[in-house]
Amino acid sequence: MKSIKKVALAAALVLSLAGVAEARDQIRIVGSSTVYPFSSAVAEEFGATNKQFKSPVVESTGSGGGHKLFYAGVGPDTPDITNSSRRMKVEELETNIKNGVTDVTEAKIGFDGIVIAQNIGNADMDLSLKDLALAVLEEVPVDGKLAPNPYKTWKQLNPALPDRKIVIYGPPATSGTRDAFVEMVVEKFTGKDETFKAVLGKEAASYKKIRQDGPYVPAGENDNLIVQKLTKDTEAVGIFGYSFLAENKDRIKGCTVGGNPPTFENISSGKYPISRALYFYVKDAHIGKIAGLKEYVELFMSEKMIGDAGYLKTIGLIPLPAAEREKVRKDVTGFKKLTAEDLK
Amino acid sequence: MTMGSALQMALMAILPLSVLAYMAARRRAGADNARGTEFHSPLVYYGWYSCLWVALPSMGLFVLAGLLHLLHIATVPGPVLAGGGVALAAFGLVWSQRAIGRDFRAIQQVEGVVRWALIGASCISILITIGIVVSVVFEAMQFFRLVSLWDFLTGTKWSPETAFLISTGRADGNVATPEFGSLPLFAGTFYITAVAMLVAVPMGLFAAVYMAEYASQRVRRIAKPALEILAGIPTVVYGFFAAITVSPFIVHLAELVGLEAEYTNALAPGLVMGVMIIPLVSSLSDDVINAVPQAMREGSYALGATTSETIRKVVLPAALPGVVSAVLLAVSRAVGETMIVVMAAGLMPNLTWNPLKSMTTVTVSIVDSLTGDQAFDSPQTLSAFGLGLVLLVLTLVLNVVSLVVIRKFREQYE
Amino acid sequence: MASLFGIDEKKLLRRRRAAETRFRLCAIAALVLAGAFLVFFLFDIGRKGYPAFQQGELLVTVNYTTEAHDNPYAAMDPDTVQIVSRSFTRLIPSMMAENSRLIGTTQEIWVLASADTDQYMKGRPNRLKPRHQALVDTMRQEGKARLAFNWGFFESGDSKLPELAGIRAAAIGSLYVLLITLAISFPVGVMCAVYLEEFAPDNRLTQVIEVNINNLAAIPSILYGLLGLAIFINFMGVARSSALVGGLTLSLMTLPAIIISTRAAIRSIPPSIREAALALGATPLQVVWHHVLPLSLPGILTGTIIGLARAMGETAPLLIVGMMAYIPEAPENFSSAATVLPAQIFTWASDSQRAFSERTAAGILVLLVLLLGMNATAIWLRNKYERKW
Repeated sequence: MKSIKKVALAAALVLSLAGVAEARDQIRIVGSSTVYPFSSAVAEEFGATNKQFKSPVVESTGSGGGHKLFYAGVGPDTPDITNSSRRMKVEELETNIKNGVTDVTEAKIGFDGIVIAQNIGNADMDLSLKDLALAVLEEVPVDGKLAPNPYKTWKQLNPALPDRKIVIYGPPATSGTRDAFVEMVVEKFTGKDETFKAVLGKEAASYKKIRQDGPYVPAGENDNLIVQKLTKDTEAVGIFGYSFLAENKDRIKGCTVGGNPPTFENISSGKYPISRALYFYVKDAHIGKIAGLKEYVELFMSEKMIGDAGYLKTIGLIPLPAAEREKVRKDVTGFKKLTAEDLK
Repeated sequence: MTMGSALQMALMAILPLSVLAYMAARRRAGADNARGTEFHSPLVYYGWYSCLWVALPSMGLFVLAGLLHLLHIATVPGPVLAGGGVALAAFGLVWSQRAIGRDFRAIQQVEGVVRWALIGASCISILITIGIVVSVVFEAMQFFRLVSLWDFLTGTKWSPETAFLISTGRADGNVATPEFGSLPLFAGTFYITAVAMLVAVPMGLFAAVYMAEYASQRVRRIAKPALEILAGIPTVVYGFFAAITVSPFIVHLAELVGLEAEYTNALAPGLVMGVMIIPLVSSLSDDVINAVPQAMREGSYALGATTSETIRKVVLPAALPGVVSAVLLAVSRAVGETMIVVMAAGLMPNLTWNPLKSMTTVTVSIVDSLTGDQAFDSPQTLSAFGLGLVLLVLTLVLNVVSLVVIRKFREQYE
Repeated sequence: MASLFGIDEKKLLRRRRAAETRFRLCAIAALVLAGAFLVFFLFDIGRKGYPAFQQGELLVTVNYTTEAHDNPYAAMDPDTVQIVSRSFTRLIPSMMAENSRLIGTTQEIWVLASADTDQYMKGRPNRLKPRHQALVDTMRQEGKARLAFNWGFFESGDSKLPELAGIRAAAIGSLYVLLITLAISFPVGVMCAVYLEEFAPDNRLTQVIEVNINNLAAIPSILYGLLGLAIFINFMGVARSSALVGGLTLSLMTLPAIIISTRAAIRSIPPSIREAALALGATPLQVVWHHVLPLSLPGILTGTIIGLARAMGETAPLLIVGMMAYIPEAPENFSSAATVLPAQIFTWASDSQRAFSERTAAGILVLLVLLLGMNATAIWLRNKYERKW
């Protein structure tokens, strides 16, 4: 009879393994690692305060991976929301529509300031966009021609800056933070700078190659690590999200950019020039099918979360200006359909 | 009714049926046996024979239907499938009961099936390899359509960032074409691996020698598993350690000697990775050294050799094939390591001999490309699969080489 | 003394002795150094992680007024609200809705302190305003603030509030994943090893399989993640980030390790045992089932446990199949979303809030204790049943 017991045991095991794929009863969110902390904070709040819904699952896949999963189609095995640290691209929207995801709602939730920080013991640094751009570009115009970037210390760039080696720990080439930095610092500078225009003409604004000869060090996605490196490496500066500066004010400090320190007020008002908007995208077809999706979106867009005294502010999200917030909230909770024109 | 729930219900019918088949067949054989008919095989085998007849055909049907469904060839409706499965099982029950008799060689039938099952299990390893190749190769092909394989393998510059800009739709006009020369990545991989091996091989080997040849049984019993803990510490921990503690230490040390080191140097992750794989080398080598016949040592002692001479001239050469395979396993572990490098050496592809400069490795690039923010069909994401494919081929070559080495030496010492 | 070949034997002997000592010292040094690293790591993690096992708690007065039902912040005085964990305040309305007798009452209860308060009480960097720091100090003097053992760390799942975050969900997720890994890789691995050691003819196919298994053992784990994504999620339609897909992926990764260690265990059984059984008329399978497997079981189990321990600490392939996620609830079945311990540690390590750093270290400690437990079991098995032939 021993073997019969064994058979029964195996049977039970097989049966329990076979219990796969029922309809989904929780929201699934994928996407950007920058939006992930905010999204999961809302998810937690949602799960804790709404007993009738399960907590949403929030996965950090990177914006690109998120969009790929999102545009795979409609149905319980595709995510309901994708977070993105950049705007959806027109091609991505087209793929969405091609795959049957015709109705997508875009929600802009606030800003993420990108700060340039250094060790707390260092002298203050005031950088201009020009200083920053020249510090990271691969080639700069010298005598009317592009030549490899000769600048090795900050002082060479700008006599007002300290005589320190340029070492910048920044996001890797695949990161949205890097893309935003390039867009808001490098392109802004090369597009307007006369010497660049003289060499490259109209194409000056599209010159944005980051140097690979050492001063710019692409670090991993873990910004805590950059912070910790700055506590040891007093020469370096680091580029990362504002929330990490806010949490570590006892050991690092932000560089002012164009005289403006990276503070909540300055980033929100746009005085501090390096910040980017954060988004999430909702699959409208899933509303009503996935329990709690509508409620989650409403909670996310509520003043309690993204408002001036909202919860997300305490973990580093910089709120939209009140008027824009009002408008966005109306659009999102009305599930306004995103069109290609919106993205242009 | 979905396929899944139909299958579940069918399984619920078939499993009791197979238990029933087992019991019925056994009882029948047992009853006959008690009446004095001597059966060919032990009685349980008649039970198993019947059981297999009930379970196998229906399971085969389900697997077949599942494959057809997954390959989008045809989808059998759930109820039909479930019904078919149960019918097959019932047929098997009846059929197998009929066959049971005194001269029926159940044991051979059952063993035949089991032997096929064993062969099947062995072939799963091949299926896994095929699976890995297939899961990498399609995207890799797409990538190699964009970038020539030759440029990929021999190019000395890895600067895919413009690929990212192109993919975000913001590249217009005069943007340099992305460069996908993977040489710096592979060079970095081997460099860091080499540093790690410089730490792990001598330390691991010496530790193994001590445990196997000098230490008492008690010390060995404690030391060996204690060292194995080193391999169990999550790599994130090592990564932080390499970046926060070891790197600054190296920088200061280099300054003392008058050299200039970067905080993200290749030395720190290499050293720390070496510590991580010490147990791989030491545990496996310890086993191998222990397996060297005692007679060989005694022969050496009898000729007046000291312990260390015996170890160096007799034991280690005899254990060499095993040690080599341990080292190669450690190499492949080091090549595959990601977290430590991401955290300590950064992501800058750099073709240099200077260990105080930053470097990056293949696996780091793979993870980075797959989890980044760029669009998924961009060349950079696809490059992850290209890199994966080359890495796969590389490990294969390494293994075949090690196998050849091992075979050659084994012939000499056995 | 004149020597035979013009060599000074005494000198030679001295040199040989010195070489012997040097070699021995090197060997000891290697072992001691490796041990020192281990002690250092364990000490370092322990030092960073142990504060997380304590948790600040506050005795506060809560007024369940009707106003608090709409705005939970009105339930306590404005300064106290700032130092109490949000995990408590946000639940006040639902507590009142569930229990109407609460409304209108005032209660004094122990609640979780906010992460910053907790860090302040432990003397670590925090963002508490001076006014609130003073309040915490007074409360401490009055005995209204305490550091208690952090049971919550073992009872709750992931949270964005460091004071509430725990490892329960991840630990259960790890258990589910390991169960699947074991259920698949153990039988298949043992069957494969038995075939290769006991039955396989020495032909091309066998050689291919052998090379292949060695190769699989050496493949970077990240590639297994790609395999899991392509085969299990995209092809077979297994739910993303489910315990099932994680377990399947890891089982493929663990398989070669189990095969290799099982083969070694089977090989160490002397042929005389097989021959004796065969001589008594046993069939080849009976030899395996009745003699070889039972005798090699300790070795097989040791290999399996060590393989599973490695699977338990693995992060990279699980990242690709979507288990690096915010999943606060423990999985209910094999197809529900789950996260695992190393993934949990990884997400905590990259969180901006400082209070997570001690949770990260504490999580690592728990993982290490589990790994140690598994290794210890393996050693116990090895020592208990190990036989010398």
